[in-house]
Amino acid sequence: MRNWLTGLLIIGLVSIFGCEQQKELKVAVAAPYTGGAAAFGEMIRRGAELKEKEINEAGGINGMKLTLLFEDDAGKGSEASLVAERIANNPQIVAVVGHFNSDCSLAGQEIYDRAGIVELSPGSTAVEVCEGSPWTFRNLYHDGFQGKFIAHYIDNVLMDIESVAVFFDNDAYGRGLRNAFVAEAEKIGLTLVASEAYERDSTNFKAQLTSIKAKNPDAIFISGLYTEASLIVKQGREAGITAQFFGADGVDSPDFLTIAGSAAEGVYLTTPFTFGAGGAEAQQMAANFEALHGVAPDTWAALTYDAVGMIAEALEKTYNTEAPIADNRKAIREHLASLDTPEEGYEGITGLTYFDIKGDTVNKPAYVKIVKDGQFVAAEKQLSELK
Amino acid sequence: MAQLLEQFINGLVLGGIYALIAVGYTMVYGIIQLINFAHGEIFMFGAYLALMLIAVFNIPFWIAVPASMLLCAMLGMLIDLVAYRPLRDAPRLSALITAIGISLVLQNLARMIWSARPRQFPTETLPAFLVSEVNIQTGEILNAIPLPGGGILPYRDVCILLLAVVLMIALNRLIHLTKIGKAMRACAQNRVASNLMGIKTNQVIAVTFAIGSALGAVAGIMVGLSENITPTMGYYKGVAAFAAAVLGGIGNITGAMLGGIIIGLAEVLGAGYISSGYRLAIAYIIMIAVIVIRPSGLFGKSTANRA
Repeated sequence: MRNWLTGLLIIGLVSIFGCEQQKELKVAVAAPYTGGAAAFGEMIRRGAELKEKEINEAGGINGMKLTLLFEDDAGKGSEASLVAERIANNPQIVAVVGHFNSDCSLAGQEIYDRAGIVELSPGSTAVEVCEGSPWTFRNLYHDGFQGKFIAHYIDNVLMDIESVAVFFDNDAYGRGLRNAFVAEAEKIGLTLVASEAYERDSTNFKAQLTSIKAKNPDAIFISGLYTEASLIVKQGREAGITAQFFGADGVDSPDFLTIAGSAAEGVYLTTPFTFGAGGAEAQQMAANFEALHGVAPDTWAALTYDAVGMIAEALEKTYNTEAPIADNRKAIREHLASLDTPEEGYEGITGLTYFDIKGDTVNKPAYVKIVKDGQFVAAEKQLSELK
Repeated sequence: MAQLLEQFINGLVLGGIYALIAVGYTMVYGIIQLINFAHGEIFMFGAYLALMLIAVFNIPFWIAVPASMLLCAMLGMLIDLVAYRPLRDAPRLSALITAIGISLVLQNLARMIWSARPRQFPTETLPAFLVSEVNIQTGEILNAIPLPGGGILPYRDVCILLLAVVLMIALNRLIHLTKIGKAMRACAQNRVASNLMGIKTNQVIAVTFAIGSALGAVAGIMVGLSENITPTMGYYKGVAAFAAAVLGGIGNITGAMLGGIIIGLAEVLGAGYISSGYRLAIAYIIMIAVIVIRPSGLFGKSTANRA
């Protein structure tokens, strides 16, 4: 009996030390895997998984295995705070890629700031996301730029549009983007005829659409996410609205096309990245992605792929197995903050990423896509510079 | 003025749908004093089952609608049989908690079967006149009636309104003119006494669940025609319909119909003319105001009678 116990003890000890040698580095990927924004979360997960697989197949990070933990915030701020607490209190997690929705990044921010852990968002574009904490970064443009860009695109490229209406999601993203768009639109002489709000998870927009229709705008800018935007476009066309619909990056999901169906035809939208504009590495990533997951990647898969790559690079350069977790978390922040010039920047598939003092990426352009024959294609005319 | 007319019709259509759901809440409450929180989920199953019949089994729309009603009626009776009947004489709170439990079970069951991704009826499987769309170039509108002043009324909305009215009248006649209707009214007045008089109360309750669930299923399909079908759709519409039932005086069928129309109109007109950011809030404020002034609702019996 005693021999048997000793044997078990030895096996146990060996397995513990065995594990010790194959050390894991854990990074949380927080996004909406369920709820109305779940199509974004699905692509974020797939993009992250591809990068994880590639890193580990190439021998890991300094011989250590990268393990991603997928945490679901359901696209809601209240859920995001719970997820953030869980992540911050887990001493094995060194950094966070996420969140996606601006509301969620803001809800998590305070908690990550207190715990001293980096939050690198591949999707939150509300201006205030990078303002509250030195621990928050993002690898795409913010809505101050995007709203301005859309106003200029409508003014310079879609010449016959003079009056616009805004239909916005009543959250941090929707309101912030609306404000940026409206401010610029009025400055450059577009007439704003209506501004209507809706709540997330609404499914019936007929009341607001009827109000907007009565003002007869040339274009309607939807400042919100694809689930609601697709129904707005569909119900708008049913209600006899002929105006040009324009969306932003929140609409950029293949699910927009499936829900809106034929009503999606001709809708314009802006996005931080398109594979058409990417180089050879982006095409290679797209091929690998399709081989692994069986579907084509979207914008968010690409940005997440790069965000995981940036965290992995930071870990490779700074991670010290002897140091306590707090120091390692801090070292990642110091590394990201040091990427502050084009020369220092991280070269990913979505282009060069480097940060300003707030943690914002200011160099990345916006692209315009249009729905043609049920597909997103690059719009004929792009706008490379804002006046 | 033209806009007001169009908003008014929007409100009536939404109100008609709420009324169909609210009737299910109120009928069950009238007989067994149970707020059947699972009713919103039956509404959701109505939409999903019709979608499955159409998209997977290629059954035409006009057969799928009654088939889905029938399946939901059976689902309603099944829920009553397994979840509520054993608790008939238990404290009311036990049945209420069970109802919430059933609601969660059904919602998550739908998520497991059909996933959380929003779905729609495939346009090509619907009868053509139910799909209105504008031609962006010419501004010409298909399958809709032009209203004076530039508004339009899609044929689909006309169908929804007509169907809601026909079903409401049919229900009213059923309750007042048939034997089973008489039994239902008797049970609502006094279940124990009805039983003593030889009415098979369990059967009457089962029929009540069946009728309420079938009407809920129709409402689910109507909503699915222009909105998304999701596992949580029953929650949002269910809460509004429940408010309508309370507003009309829970237990009173005419009250539920009228309550539905009032909530629908309040929601749409509130969003159109007061503030679009608070569309549901406005509907609930009206409900609260009515309840404060008349605690038993518009058509409710005074509570002293019940106690």
